[in-house]
Amino acid sequence: MPAASGDIQTVQTEELMQVSASTEASLLLTTVQALANWSRKHSMWPLPLGLSCCGIEFMATAASRYDMARFGMEVARFSPRQADLLLVAGTLTYKMASVMTRLYDQMAEPKWVVSMGACASSGGMYRSYPVVQGIDEFVPVDFYISGCPPRPDNVLNTLIKLQGKIDKERDYELRLDTPSAPEGQNVEEVAVLPGKRHGPPIALATDDERFVEQGPQKLIERGRKPEEGRA
Amino acid sequence: MSQGKRVTESCLVYTADAPEGVSEATQQALAPFDPEWSEHPVHGGYPGCRVHRSKWAEAMAALKEQAGFEMLVDHTATDYPDREPERFTVLGLVMNVDTQERVMMRTRVAEGDSVPTVSHIWKSADWSERETFDMFGIPFEGHPDLTRIYMPQDFDGWPLRRDFPMQGHNRFRD
Repeated sequence: MPAASGDIQTVQTEELMQVSASTEASLLLTTVQALANWSRKHSMWPLPLGLSCCGIEFMATAASRYDMARFGMEVARFSPRQADLLLVAGTLTYKMASVMTRLYDQMAEPKWVVSMGACASSGGMYRSYPVVQGIDEFVPVDFYISGCPPRPDNVLNTLIKLQGKIDKERDYELRLDTPSAPEGQNVEEVAVLPGKRHGPPIALATDDERFVEQGPQKLIERGRKPEEGRA
Repeated sequence: MSQGKRVTESCLVYTADAPEGVSEATQQALAPFDPEWSEHPVHGGYPGCRVHRSKWAEAMAALKEQAGFEMLVDHTATDYPDREPERFTVLGLVMNVDTQERVMMRTRVAEGDSVPTVSHIWKSADWSERETFDMFGIPFEGHPDLTRIYMPQDFDGWPLRRDFPMQGHNRFRD
C-alpha cells in the first residue's frame, strides 16, 4: 500500500510517542488490508454444494475427527448471502450448472470457489453428454482438489492454502468496486467476472446465434467461446 | 447377448401364430390388430408381439381391458440406425398380475413419425414416454406434456440414438 504508507509512518513517529504508557499496551497498528485479510481468512464460511460422494467427505471434514472449525470455517451456510466460499463437491450436470451459477451470483463479494474432487474439476470419469467437464466452464475457480473423493485432510490442506492466498490479497479497494453490465447492454460487454480482477478473463457470452436470444441470465452465455478451448 | 454377438431385432422371426405360453385371452384381445408373434431369448423369453404403430394404442388398450394386463412394466425404445426406413422400435412390456403372464409389445417407427400415446391407459407411461422422447426424439401423439424429462429443455440432440457421439457433445469443450 504505497499511498497509505506515508500516513502510517507519520502516525508512528510523531503521535504515537505521545501516547501514555497505560494505553500503549492496548494499541495495535496495522493496515486496513491486513486487518481485512486476517478477519476474512479466519471467518471463512463455506457454502457446500454437495452433489455426490464428495459431499460426504466434506461432512467428514467438518465433523469432529478433522474439525474444520479449528481454522475458522465451521459455519457451513446454506444461504449464498452469508457464505464466502463456494465449495463445489461432486458431479455437476449441465442441468445443475444453472443452479450453481445462480448461487455464485448471489454470494456477496469477496467470494472464492474451490472445486473439490475429480468430477467438479474435470468431469471425472463421467466423460459424457450431461456432465460439465470442469466447473471452471462456468465460475472462476481458486483451488482444485484432486481425489475421487479427496480425503478430508486433503480438503483441509486446500482450505489452509486458500487462507494463505487470502492473506496475500492486495486489492481491498478494488473489491468494493465490482464491474457490472451497463443498463441495456448485453453481458457480452463484460470481459472479466465481477470481483475476479486477478483471474484469467473469461468470456461471458457466446457468438452462437442459437443462444443469443435467450437472454443474459442463461448459463450458456457464461462459458467460454467455443473457439477458445481450454485455457 | 452371448459371445459378444450383437443382437438386433432383425434376427427375430415373426410368425402369425402365437408361441407357446400365450393365453387364449391375450390372443383374442390382439387378434383385430394383425399381430406378428415372436419368441426370442433376448427378452427373458417373453413372447413378443409386433403391431403397426397406427394400431399401437388400440392394441395396448385391448390388452389391458380384455386380457387383464394391468401393469406396464417397461416402456422404452431401441435404435437400429441401419434399418430402413423404420430405425426405431418402441417397446412396451406389459404384465397380467393375476396370471404372471407377460408380453413384450413392439412397434416400428421411422425418424420423425409419431407413435400414439398410451399414457391415458397406464399413468406410468406418462414419464416413460417423456423419457423415450428425451433420449430418442420419438414424439408421442396425444401425450399431455411431451417435454424433456432428464435433459435441460434447451438441450440439442437425442443422447440414446446410436449416432449420438460418445463424447464431445458439450457446448464449449471436447
